[in-house]
Amino acid sequence: MSNSKKIMVTHVESMDQFSLLRDHALDYKNTELEVIVGCLELSRYTNTKKEDLLKLIHHISKEQISVVLEWDGLYQEDKFIQAAAVVDSLPLHEISAIRVQDPGAVEYIKNKYPWLKIQLVLENGNHNLAGLMKWSEYLGEQCSRLILSNELSKEKLKEYASVLKAPLEILLFGRILLFYSPRLLLSPLEKDKLKKSWITASGSSEESPHSGFPLIENRHGTFMFNVKDLSLLDHLEEISQLGIAHTRVDLRFDESFNRYIKDLFELFSGKKTEADFQLKINHPRPVIKGFYNVNKTDVLFTKLKNSRTQRQDDFYLGEIVDVERNQQLALLIKTNALSENLEIVQEIKMVTPEGKIKIMILPWIKSTLGLPLLQASKNDLVLIPYTNGVTVKTQVYINKSVK
Amino acid sequence: MPHWTPELLSPAGSLEKLKVSVLYGANAVYLGGQKFGLRQAADNFTYEELSEGVEFAHSRNAKVYVVLNSFLHDNDLVELPEFLYLLEELKVDAVIVSDLGVISTIKKHSNLVIHLSTQASCLNIESAKLWKNLGATRIVLGREVTIKEASLIKKATGLEIEMFVHGSMCMAFSGNCVISNYTQGRDSNRGGCAHSCRFEYSINFNDDKNDKGHDVEKRAAQKAYFMSSKDLEGIRLLPEFIEAEIDSLKVEGRNKSHHYAGTISKVYSDALRFYKEHGHFLSSDMLNWEEELRKVSHRDYTTGSLDHYAESDSIYNQREHDDNEYVVSGIVLEAIPEEHLLVDVKSAFHPKDILEVMRFSGATKKCEVQFLKSLSGVSLERSKPGTVVKIPYIEGAEKFNIIRRAIKQ
Repeated sequence: MSNSKKIMVTHVESMDQFSLLRDHALDYKNTELEVIVGCLELSRYTNTKKEDLLKLIHHISKEQISVVLEWDGLYQEDKFIQAAAVVDSLPLHEISAIRVQDPGAVEYIKNKYPWLKIQLVLENGNHNLAGLMKWSEYLGEQCSRLILSNELSKEKLKEYASVLKAPLEILLFGRILLFYSPRLLLSPLEKDKLKKSWITASGSSEESPHSGFPLIENRHGTFMFNVKDLSLLDHLEEISQLGIAHTRVDLRFDESFNRYIKDLFELFSGKKTEADFQLKINHPRPVIKGFYNVNKTDVLFTKLKNSRTQRQDDFYLGEIVDVERNQQLALLIKTNALSENLEIVQEIKMVTPEGKIKIMILPWIKSTLGLPLLQASKNDLVLIPYTNGVTVKTQVYINKSVK
Repeated sequence: MPHWTPELLSPAGSLEKLKVSVLYGANAVYLGGQKFGLRQAADNFTYEELSEGVEFAHSRNAKVYVVLNSFLHDNDLVELPEFLYLLEELKVDAVIVSDLGVISTIKKHSNLVIHLSTQASCLNIESAKLWKNLGATRIVLGREVTIKEASLIKKATGLEIEMFVHGSMCMAFSGNCVISNYTQGRDSNRGGCAHSCRFEYSINFNDDKNDKGHDVEKRAAQKAYFMSSKDLEGIRLLPEFIEAEIDSLKVEGRNKSHHYAGTISKVYSDALRFYKEHGHFLSSDMLNWEEELRKVSHRDYTTGSLDHYAESDSIYNQREHDDNEYVVSGIVLEAIPEEHLLVDVKSAFHPKDILEVMRFSGATKKCEVQFLKSLSGVSLERSKPGTVVKIPYIEGAEKFNIIRRAIKQ
């Protein structure tokens, strides 16, 4: 087993869970542990009531285990004020840090509790070093951790870990959030219309290649998760060697806490591997590695539009907007390239939407009234001789080799 | 003395649409270059088009804001400084940004004015303060914020505040949806959104106890477009926007048609012009304005969260469909008085059809198609989309006017 540091970060939602966790922690003393706690008003998915949160904070901190308060909701002003009041009412001196995502929460803690360490959730976007460095700089000494996006590849994680001073964290195992809306989207489908504080469901669409997206509606809104959960359990050692000591296991769903917590201690102690978890049998959904190996989510962009119908600026004249077979082409002039004497422009190049290239010597141009022209200005519509194969949206250029 | 009105900020998905938006009354337009924005499928602007667009807009006292609101990766940022130099050279009025790395790069390489994109989901006073500290001078608030809350944010921060007044809406907090990333392999926050929220889903409510231990009754699967939002329409709330001193009212829709850009710009600018002159909206035209907004392709309208947080009636629980009363016949390419109009045909029409010319100001003008000819003068029985045709000159018609036709004549 290597000496690189591995700290298990996990959520605890009840005293029962904490008791179990503490028992395992005693058995695996070499596993460093950090516990995230939250309450209904502050955490997106936590079911813990405020009075239970107070107990948890008290007991966990007494055990000398690092306890972090989660405040990861996003809030409009009215709701923010209410959530901030809850934060104010908590024994913040007993926690190791507060974990926030809403920039409003960041600013609030930064100004009101400058002594309190901040763990900044940057899982949404934040895919460049310049931004991460700026966040770290903005929080200064208060920044005790940056929680990075699942969309970063290991190559990027390694680079960031080597540059950033703040400790980093990524999700090692758990659901992948796809969608967060403040609107209540499931309860309108309830037949009895009784208000429920927590609804779970799954959604499938014939228009999507995937089915069975887990859904939750609660006081924070509606959440949709990926049909496959993330598991980088196999890569724990590698991740720690990249320089990321903190890895989070999110066991809040599917009764995962009881099912996996012991195995996770063993994994972090180097006594088990992912294979021992038998996820294919034990886990309710398939697992994936997400973008850990590579992120190519921009490669399809080139296929979203036909680049041939887009003008290239060099030597550009305009676009064919009408074709009358064996008669003429109508060219909408879009630059000043023809504003000088026509003789200067002897040849034009036409690039059709299919990519065919047609070269033509311009013997004449005419106005739309049929009058011969020697020049044309930007925004003029002119007629030029018909050329077989040229269609509407063909882009027209002065032939570079002639210019 | 004229009364104060907010800026009307319209979309410019292409150079032509920029001209349409400005000519129909927008005080400002927003557009994207070939990279760094969130509409990879839109035409977007080349440098020359951008240059012409800025010149066109500025010559008509309209401002130009350029979107750089993708969540950029490191390799995307490499090319950004060069683009920033071009934008400064062109004197664009601001850039719209959501990513702190982009803000940081802008501040390092330029003096461009920074507006925070709605993509950053700024929702409260403290958040606005943070972004102000980081360099934003204007905040495009998340669409989840009410006008009253926006007013509080403005007063508390002194920042310029921009809010969406019209158009399609994300159901998720903007920037907080990555469905496309995982299901289609396209980064929704770099312009690859596949609009999975508009799909129909079959919802299975969980049985027995859910994973939080609550009792959940067993229900049959229900089919619903449960993540699809109705479109925003804020025309009735213009008095509230003005009272709250919201600086800019934004119209969504860079991917939408010329008809959309022109109509929405015209309606809202007409309404704001009326207010500027009279100090109220008690115009007999209010019903006409609303009627005009229904003539463009749209989902059912909602006021979203403008007056109160959006509720279940804001969900567009139906398949995307067109039931438009009007269709765009074409755009005027050339208007030669006493001679003809040349029309870039967008949908077919016939001789004897009644067309409506949407003039840049004032009422639309109806006219019958007395003749329909090709450019070489051949009489046509039907215009074909993607061609240019001649129809009789209509008095007052100008280049870039939109010509439309009622579907049921």
